[in-house]
Amino acid sequence: MSLLSALLALRRDPRILRLPPYVSALCILIGVGWLLLLPLNEYSRQTYVSENAILPGQVHTYFGGSEHNIFRAYRHEVAGLAESSEEERVGKLGDIFRSSGLKVAAQKYEYTAAGRNTTGKNVYAILQGPRADATEAVVLIAAWRNMDGVLNQSGVALVLTLARYFKRWSVWSKDIIFLIPSDSTAGPQAWVDAYHSGHDPETIESLPLKSGALQAAVAVDYPAGPWGHRFDKLHIIYDGINGQLPNLDLFNTAVSIASGQMGIGCTIQRMWNHRDTYSERLQTMLRGMLSAGLGHATGPHSSFIPYHVDAITLQTVGDGWHDEMSLGRTVESLFRSLNNLLEHLHQSFFLYLLMHANRFVSIGTYLPSAMLVAVSFTIASIALWVQSGQPTEKATVGVWHSDEADAKEQDVTVVEQDGMTALISTAELKVVERHMLLPIAFVSAAHFLGLLPLYVFTRASATTLTTTFYAFATSTALLPALSAVALSRLFAPTSQQWALTACFSLLLLGLFLSALATLNFSLAILVGVLGSPLCLVPALITSTPSRTSVPSTSVAAGADTSSSHRTTSTGIGGSVANVTLYVLLLAASPPALLLAACHYWNANVGAVLAAAGTAWHVQGAWTGVVVCLVWWPAWFVAAVGVAAGGLGL
Amino acid sequence: MTFEPEGTHSNASMRNLHLLHGTLPHEVVCTENLTPFLKLLPCKGKAGISSLLDGHKLFDANWQTMAVDVKPVCPEDGTECILQIEQTVDMVLDIERSKRPRDNPMPRPIPTEDLVCDNSKPYHGGDSCFPLDRTSEMSWSLNKVFGRPLKGSCPLTTEDGRDSETVCINVPHEREVQERTAADLVKKEHEDGYLRCYKISPNLDFDLILPEQYLSSNLPLSHPSLHAFRSITGHGQERGGVRAILTNPSLTSPVRFVYLESLPWFMKPYLHTLRATISSSTAPLPDQYLEPQQAPNTADPIKQMYYRPAVDRHRGTHLELLLELPPASTLTLTYDFEKSLLRYTEYPPDANRGFDVAPAVIRLLSSSSSSSSSNGSSLLGASEYLRTTSLLLPLPTPDFSMPYNVIILTSTVMALAFGSIFNILVRRFVAADEAPGYGLVSLKGRIWALAQRLKARLRGKGAKDE
Repeated sequence: MSLLSALLALRRDPRILRLPPYVSALCILIGVGWLLLLPLNEYSRQTYVSENAILPGQVHTYFGGSEHNIFRAYRHEVAGLAESSEEERVGKLGDIFRSSGLKVAAQKYEYTAAGRNTTGKNVYAILQGPRADATEAVVLIAAWRNMDGVLNQSGVALVLTLARYFKRWSVWSKDIIFLIPSDSTAGPQAWVDAYHSGHDPETIESLPLKSGALQAAVAVDYPAGPWGHRFDKLHIIYDGINGQLPNLDLFNTAVSIASGQMGIGCTIQRMWNHRDTYSERLQTMLRGMLSAGLGHATGPHSSFIPYHVDAITLQTVGDGWHDEMSLGRTVESLFRSLNNLLEHLHQSFFLYLLMHANRFVSIGTYLPSAMLVAVSFTIASIALWVQSGQPTEKATVGVWHSDEADAKEQDVTVVEQDGMTALISTAELKVVERHMLLPIAFVSAAHFLGLLPLYVFTRASATTLTTTFYAFATSTALLPALSAVALSRLFAPTSQQWALTACFSLLLLGLFLSALATLNFSLAILVGVLGSPLCLVPALITSTPSRTSVPSTSVAAGADTSSSHRTTSTGIGGSVANVTLYVLLLAASPPALLLAACHYWNANVGAVLAAAGTAWHVQGAWTGVVVCLVWWPAWFVAAVGVAAGGLGL
Repeated sequence: MTFEPEGTHSNASMRNLHLLHGTLPHEVVCTENLTPFLKLLPCKGKAGISSLLDGHKLFDANWQTMAVDVKPVCPEDGTECILQIEQTVDMVLDIERSKRPRDNPMPRPIPTEDLVCDNSKPYHGGDSCFPLDRTSEMSWSLNKVFGRPLKGSCPLTTEDGRDSETVCINVPHEREVQERTAADLVKKEHEDGYLRCYKISPNLDFDLILPEQYLSSNLPLSHPSLHAFRSITGHGQERGGVRAILTNPSLTSPVRFVYLESLPWFMKPYLHTLRATISSSTAPLPDQYLEPQQAPNTADPIKQMYYRPAVDRHRGTHLELLLELPPASTLTLTYDFEKSLLRYTEYPPDANRGFDVAPAVIRLLSSSSSSSSSNGSSLLGASEYLRTTSLLLPLPTPDFSMPYNVIILTSTVMALAFGSIFNILVRRFVAADEAPGYGLVSLKGRIWALAQRLKARLRGKGAKDE
């Protein structure tokens, strides 16, 4: 009994109620600090090939010798096609495949996104494995133009040569599909959609020729001209759409074959010189998280990953002494390893962060950081809930414990339960009714309002995107203040309702983020950290004394009594503080942060938004959805709360 | 509809016959698969054309099938019926690959000087070579392709005639074929201009050598009367779809066929989603075919349907469709299915590979026999069967390391629970002040006991010494 009453007393302890903002801040700090720990040797692990069947680098590779002459000839052919039309190119590439004895087919596609049309024609050939029963296939891709729009001359030539060379082997127990899409994002997407019959037949042709279930895909990006270029390292790109990743075994196999068997150094996330120091590991990891958080396509392989086809891109970088034959042998060895697979790649990790070509952390180690960030919002929300249910006058807690007589003088209630009787202060039993309709309606409305920017930004054409963005940014800055005025005029919300509004909004944000953390960890922690001011904002408003002690005095003001109370108690100071808070919050708004990021990376806002729109339409990346329907509404609700405080409503 | 008994059966025996149909959709090939097959042969692979069958060569082929057909044959004159066994081996060989020696099968790059290059290319030179297509017929011989010559004939008849010609080769007559054998042989060239057959002597090696040659005419290949292609659509763990594309390449004649799907029980088709749509082929058609084609396009191509639904863990789905496809058109047959969850003991060891779905069997009905076969009573001769490729169906697969984790976790919990409960059960609880062995009194007692023990030991030693 005494324990219970002590706990009850604790519930009312003002010190406890002042704690949650600090706990929230602590959660965020620990969450971010956790990330900083990950690159340490104690928290990350050396990569290893988990699937025993792969046997990376155990085969002797024979790609070389006179194949080099053929490769050079094909490279000249590809260079000759640089200026030719789509039809001519597809015809010529098809002829080369056909002369190697493969079945060839082509596929036209057309996408309309951000007011632009993307058209192209994929050409692909199928090598039916002599030991295969056409139930499984692996894909070798060389996009005609790579992600930077550069002609992938040596890559295409290498695929043509390898197709001819692979045809001579009798070991293939899976079909091999050689795919040459006309670009690096839309083309592979159209092809893989059509392969799984998930395409829109109006704009994308169905595939006339198919093989079995796709097991893995490897893309080659080697944009060296007709006279070749010796490269230094292989840059292995592994991010898929929406932060999905290929099985770590595929990546490990590529790394172990390239570095172990061929002696080619491997690098990831554009870290050209990685000396495996702490800061470089951290930087690699953060780059990977940013890339996964943006959820965009990073290479021709990206489109395959949502279909549970593990895929990577091998990109050549730097000036060194490795030539196209080394890359060809790497691909050969990689395909021999994939050919060994009896089952779909499933042994190793699908959720991981890489910080070096052979160092990673798995989800069990890094997930707590995103969860802690998400929990900070939930804590803030629970604190607001408790606060909103508090009676207005202070309960005289603790007094009656020490002094029975004193307690009896107070207004007490006799509680009888299970044959026991207790005297409890009435103030403690008093329940404040929560008026939840308005907060729930407002929070839902804010979330539905998020559909508007989503619709506008995904539908607007590329030319108008910049102006649309600035219009949106301006309205984002003004809308909270206007909404605050409108809400006060129309509904005259009490401070309890303001608190509940913030509470529900934060609860939803915490919920969304913790769910998102399991799907796309990087996006969740990105939004969580960028949105972290939101969980401190209610505390900052309520920390002005007026907020906690509530509707007693000036009902005459008509509007929220708390603000008038505050004006009386803290005067102009509170308002100024809130206006400052509003300005600070504006700086943390999604459009402002987008602008800042564009400025930092020297990118054009319009181009970034156009790319996001294209990614949404073509690849189904839902980063925009998260920003518009999760982050922006949460920010909006917080900003309205601050504006209401700042305007003294 | 798809399968009918072949051979002669009396009406009485027909009543007692059952049609059993089973499929094994996937089997890993092994050279040992050939041995029981060869054992059925009269010469057991020691002579005749079966002496060429070597497991390494057969299963190295680009494509191969083996078939055993058994049917009773009752002669007209009423003598005793016999069982006829027909064994077939088909293989498609890549000659270039087969000619590689068996001890060195690596496709090493050919020496640079042997490359056949297109000299007309502007970049042609010392280090670039655009490979030219081969225009001549490749040279090959039985010995080179199969690694051994034919070890004599396996004569089943002593008479002269068609049956005694045991080896036939189907090449144009202008193709030069050298025979190499120690004894005389009888060679017969058939009138159609392509087939030539040999009667070879038993016990003597026989080899056919075809040198490299430029040919003016190619062997006319018979065109298949139907192209079939089947694939799984969709992705994810819950639902999928099957799409079969059947094309009638003929410009003039429609084709009637029976399409049989036998699906495993864990693949549950939704029959209401079965759609059959006909579209005319993209190939340009002469005008006169366009007009009559419009009418059948609108008609339902499914003439008859037999469907027996699956029973979980007992039998699979059986779906037979009698279809008619107008000339030069493509039929797309689609249906959706649901993937069911298996019990975890029902998964094979390689669960993540996916589950094989047996090929669809297509029986082509010739237009004359179609009326009689649809009522299922006609006894046809050899029917023409087509099989699609088998499919790989990914089912939702549990993480099999999870039971392991669960076992470890529950064992730990059980060990902890058992340990503490056991501890409580066997321990005797007494109040601290009642317990002997504590306090000053007991300390004294202990010291006393220790002294006694020491004393006893000393005394014991003393006794021994005496």
